[in-house]
Amino acid sequence: MELLRLDNVTKKFGGLVAVNKVSFTVEKGEAIGIVGPNGSGKTTLYNLINGVYAPDEGRIYFDGKDITNLPTHARAPLGMARTFQIPRPFGGATTRENVAVGAMFGYAKASVDEALEIADEYLRMVGIYDKRDVEAAKLTPLEKRLMEVARALAMKPKLLLLDEVMAGMNPSDIDKLIELLKRVKEEEDISIVSMVEHLMHAITKFAERVIVMHQGEKLLEGPTMEVLNHPKVIEIYLGKKVVEDAEG
Amino acid sequence: MSFFDKYASLIPVLLIYVVLFAIGILVPGMWQPVAFIMFYITLGQAFNIFLGLTGYVDFGYVAFLALGAYGMAIAVESLGGANLGFGIILIGLVLAIVMASILSLAVGAVALRLRGAYFAIATIGVNEGFRYFVEGARIWGGSEGIIISGAMRNIFGRETANFISTFVSDILVFIIAILAAIVTVLIMNRKMGYALMAVREDEDAAKVMGINVTKYKVMAFIASASFAGLIGASAWTLKMTYVFPSDVFLITYTVEAIVIVMLGGAGTLMGPVVGGLIYGILKYYLSITLPGFQLIILAPLLVVIVIAFPEGVVGALKRKARGNARKYLR
Ligand SMILES: Nc1ncnc2c1ncn2[C@@H]1O[C@H](COP(=O)(O)OP(=O)(O)O)[C@@H](O)[C@H]1O
Ligand SMILES: [Mg+2]
Repeated sequence: MELLRLDNVTKKFGGLVAVNKVSFTVEKGEAIGIVGPNGSGKTTLYNLINGVYAPDEGRIYFDGKDITNLPTHARAPLGMARTFQIPRPFGGATTRENVAVGAMFGYAKASVDEALEIADEYLRMVGIYDKRDVEAAKLTPLEKRLMEVARALAMKPKLLLLDEVMAGMNPSDIDKLIELLKRVKEEEDISIVSMVEHLMHAITKFAERVIVMHQGEKLLEGPTMEVLNHPKVIEIYLGKKVVEDAEG
Repeated sequence: MSFFDKYASLIPVLLIYVVLFAIGILVPGMWQPVAFIMFYITLGQAFNIFLGLTGYVDFGYVAFLALGAYGMAIAVESLGGANLGFGIILIGLVLAIVMASILSLAVGAVALRLRGAYFAIATIGVNEGFRYFVEGARIWGGSEGIIISGAMRNIFGRETANFISTFVSDILVFIIAILAAIVTVLIMNRKMGYALMAVREDEDAAKVMGINVTKYKVMAFIASASFAGLIGASAWTLKMTYVFPSDVFLITYTVEAIVIVMLGGAGTLMGPVVGGLIYGILKYYLSITLPGFQLIILAPLLVVIVIAFPEGVVGALKRKARGNARKYLR
């Protein structure tokens, strides 16, 4: 069953075409990787799906509904959640309150008391429960990313959009996070889209399918290993064999 | 959170109100200064619901006090012959809320779609615009305003009218302060409180999290404006027994409200109480000891304090507070 569909979506910033006639779909319960060098339009793609920007052309469908003109705030309650490439905690609030906000206003639509409990549950799951009463601004960069994952999961989304969430993590943290994502994906039937600039290794362990972005366009799409070993992909990554590129 | 934890922060606030009230009643000659200080505390508490909880600055805030003042004056003036007794004050208060909230809904629905700085600029015109409208269109007595002292004497008799002006009006301000504190805590404990926290911290991220930011901002704006209307009706119209546009549409009060909230700690329950105490006490005693110089002394002093404590006194304390103390300081 199709959960998300982008139909010929274009976004321009002045003369720059950040996303150029991109189409793809995400099925329910699927794990997809979006890879592409810096500036290839990945984050913009998320901003279009979230409604941070409106596309100049094309349409976006979520769960059978045309959401192209839906206001940003009306989208998360339909079952979308994301993390930000540069984490955006509500800095003055505690870690727990941050995650609870996700549970209250996302698809979970929990009451305040339920949300605080859900927050504890996901903080335990990502391993920063001991930081629950710390002001989110005081978390380390790694903890901020994990907080964002918890906040997104607490929304109980149908679609989870991860933006470079593993950047800067060490291999053991990455493995832990991938285990976690695989588990919630099975248990809660979430579709996960994860985008990375490098870290192809992580993607191979996790994504069933990969989309390659290059200069705003969808260059390739297909089964993970097949796509990542494609000559074109190797070419845009300056001749490196990307699957061995494990650095972050 | 337990019920007690959620409402514990009301205890110190209400305690301060009780102490102030006791001083005013028991110590001869202190009712006047206590009422003076209480006006500023209440103003801060009301404004905090908007400025503190959303992080948006409304430079037209005093217009809501002014409309509340007119609401009370219009009620007394036009229903004075209806033999309603104290019912007329109730009607005046309701009219004050209705008028202030209608204006806030109109301003908020348009201007609260704008971002912080643009909103602030947009609201500068609201107060002046309303004043020139009242004066120019000669509604509500135009620039002569409305004088209700005669009507009050007719309704209540000389003695009771005097009692209302010198005592009941101040008691009403106390009650408004208590209600504003309770409403603030209720908001903080509900989804609305979390939504406004998110707006304050990162409005774009808040939207992505599914928060209808305009809705919650407008709700806070209306709540805050309604309390402003009540303050205008009680502390101005009932106390002074007149409303002049040149007295009530004064941006000075907006600036004072901003200073009180910032000084005490925006977005904290205790902040406006501390800010109002500091500001009210300083202003009262400076106006006695150095009449005419109070602004020259007060302004730089407050600027220094606000720079020294950017989160306000209570904000800074809250940061230091650990464990149990935290729930009393919100
Ligand atoms: N708000 C914006 N205004 C102008 N240009 C932007 C904006 N957001 C992104 N861009 C540009 O769009 C292109 C794609 O950026 P982005 O989607 O962030 O790429 P990626 O996430 O793949 O690194 C870049 O050239 C970037 O500079
Ligand atoms: Mg990016």
